[in-house]
Amino acid sequence: MVEAERRRAFRDVVEPEIPVLLRVARSLSASDADAEDLVQETLIRAFRGLHGFDGRHPRAWLLTILRNTNVNLHRRQRPMVVDDWELSNSRPAFGAVSQPSAEDSFVAEEFDGALQMAVAGLDPRFRSTLLLVDVHDLSYAETAAVLGVPVGTVMSRLSRARDRVRKALGPTFATRGEQS
Amino acid sequence: MSSSLRQMLTCHWSARRIQRYLDADPSAPLTPGEVRRLEEHVATCERCQEVLREHRMLHRALSVWSRRRSVVDPAAVDRLRLVLDELADGPST
Repeated sequence: MVEAERRRAFRDVVEPEIPVLLRVARSLSASDADAEDLVQETLIRAFRGLHGFDGRHPRAWLLTILRNTNVNLHRRQRPMVVDDWELSNSRPAFGAVSQPSAEDSFVAEEFDGALQMAVAGLDPRFRSTLLLVDVHDLSYAETAAVLGVPVGTVMSRLSRARDRVRKALGPTFATRGEQS
Repeated sequence: MSSSLRQMLTCHWSARRIQRYLDADPSAPLTPGEVRRLEEHVATCERCQEVLREHRMLHRALSVWSRRRSVVDPAAVDRLRLVLDELADGPST
């Protein structure tokens, strides 16, 4: 009975996180198939390691396992860099996905290409952080778990990344906001 | 300390906290006192109002930009749910 409850609790905790795991895995993998394999292996390892999970911050726990699994699968330690530009083909998984206002849509339309170029032009470490926080909607701690860096490093990289994107978009972007 | 120097220091102090103020991330919350000081400063400082506005503008643009992209493959999500079911229920016979 206890074992059955434990398994059920595992499913309840993990199931809502599958889309975000898949998106982050896609950013770390060479293909959609590799990403799916990575998430599958992550789920198996999470299940095996369930006894070590304290029940708090399941997403950060799973993202840490995802990262470690990816490192182990590749058999070599390397800096975690979200450098697959397919990552832009994703969006936040949870919360706050309300319909954009007409003004927001207009601004995004107007700056779509410029944003793409600005983000693509970032140093990979900064781009990774920006995408994980602002595109994948991960928290600082979750991003730190994926990248294997301290939260302070996430904040520092995020600040620099946003600053560089703002500068790359130029004064037109800033003045556009005054009209909204 | 002159008022202009004090203003400059407060601008610098505020600029270092605007990201945390807007993100409101649980890993790095501002204290209520910091929030109050920042909001009071921004209310009277055009330069910091501009910085805050640019931050918000970028956040909105990135948010909409990312939302316009496609979602993950729902079939892959379904397949992974099956994996999860097998782990939770044991393999089906």
